[in-house]
Amino acid sequence: MWWKITSVLLLVYTFTLGMLVPLRPGILTVSPESGLTRQSTVLTISGYNAHFTQGEGQTRVWLTYDDENAILAHRVKALSDTQLEAEFQLPANLPKGEATMVLNCIVDNPADGTSVLPNAFQLKLDSTTMQEYDPTWKAHPVEKLNVKKGFTYPYRNVIYETIRNTYFHVPMWFVLLFLLLASATYSVIYLLNPKPEYDSKASAYAETGLLFGLLGLVTGMLWAHYAWGKAWSNDIKQITTAVALLIYMAYFILRSSFDEPEKGARLSAVYNIFAFATLIPLLYVVPRMFASLHPGATGSPAFGGQDLDNTMRAVFYPAIIGWTLLGFWMTSLRIRAKRIEDKLGGLD
Amino acid sequence: MKFFKTRIFFIIVLFGALYLCPANAYAAGDFMRETGKINVVVGVILLLFFGIVAYLIRLERKLTKLEHQINDDHEWKN
Repeated sequence: MWWKITSVLLLVYTFTLGMLVPLRPGILTVSPESGLTRQSTVLTISGYNAHFTQGEGQTRVWLTYDDENAILAHRVKALSDTQLEAEFQLPANLPKGEATMVLNCIVDNPADGTSVLPNAFQLKLDSTTMQEYDPTWKAHPVEKLNVKKGFTYPYRNVIYETIRNTYFHVPMWFVLLFLLLASATYSVIYLLNPKPEYDSKASAYAETGLLFGLLGLVTGMLWAHYAWGKAWSNDIKQITTAVALLIYMAYFILRSSFDEPEKGARLSAVYNIFAFATLIPLLYVVPRMFASLHPGATGSPAFGGQDLDNTMRAVFYPAIIGWTLLGFWMTSLRIRAKRIEDKLGGLD
Repeated sequence: MKFFKTRIFFIIVLFGALYLCPANAYAAGDFMRETGKINVVVGVILLLFFGIVAYLIRLERKLTKLEHQINDDHEWKN
């Protein structure tokens, strides 16, 4: 009983914090998107969740080339909380003598902290060439940056608010793993001690595991449509997951194709163990060996580094536990139904 | 088998619906892309909700059958 309450409480926590905590301020667009050297240009910056009027007078805007070369706006004016005007005197040439270069835009103020829009502004060389390095590039380096205080989720371009799907799409794969692990465990137990009860438990866990796998796949497709442009882009994780789910669908077809229940249960148990043995490489090994659109999929483990920051972890881990307990709860109902079914001598 | 057929049908419908939606072009008033694409999150939550409800409906049907079986003393079977 306690774990069912825990599941509900953790899911309530996940939904509440997952939906209500705001995103960190960020830069949506910068216009115009290009300019010539030696020009004076006024950029209009539109922010997301920003409070430009609060930082009036303290807002600094840079266009950066790399860590060392940056130009600071000499006049910054907040038109509204989300609109900012920044006037730049563009330098005479590019740091390494290129003809054109795409610069990043950095906005910093005490209210919002630092926001970056990569590849925001294209700087082109005008007709007059100048050989020597323009010192304006090093006059105002990017320094003394502010950090936004408070509980917020990271702002990422293209993804924006859908970063919250981390609490709804990603845990599906953890639930799938735990449920299918339970299923494989009951299959092993069945082979050691062939009681029909263990076999029906293995099948019930595989069923909910498959349900959560399909939900993960479908929610992933919806997210992919708006983040990657296509619902199905033959990403390595999409392919291997589809293969893994088909393997488990075949498990149910195998189960239903036997006339003798005992023989069928034995063979399906063996198949289920092999299915789980292929699931692990398909979901956790093969995707790391290819380029993927999924974050954290290549090389280092998915939990490492910048894909998940600490504010997100505070919701992500409870979300995993909450969804997993829900998965086990649903399975326990199915097992109880199966037990009655077996007592009555089967349905079919 | 019915279980798979409805699921697969559901996935095909979703796939088709997504195929018809505009992919990358940002159109003003685009419901799914306005306010930071928050409605994509709403869509994901709704999909999870309906998936779990579908599972519960299926379980309820099984239980109804079992109830019939208990009440009608196996008469229902044939």
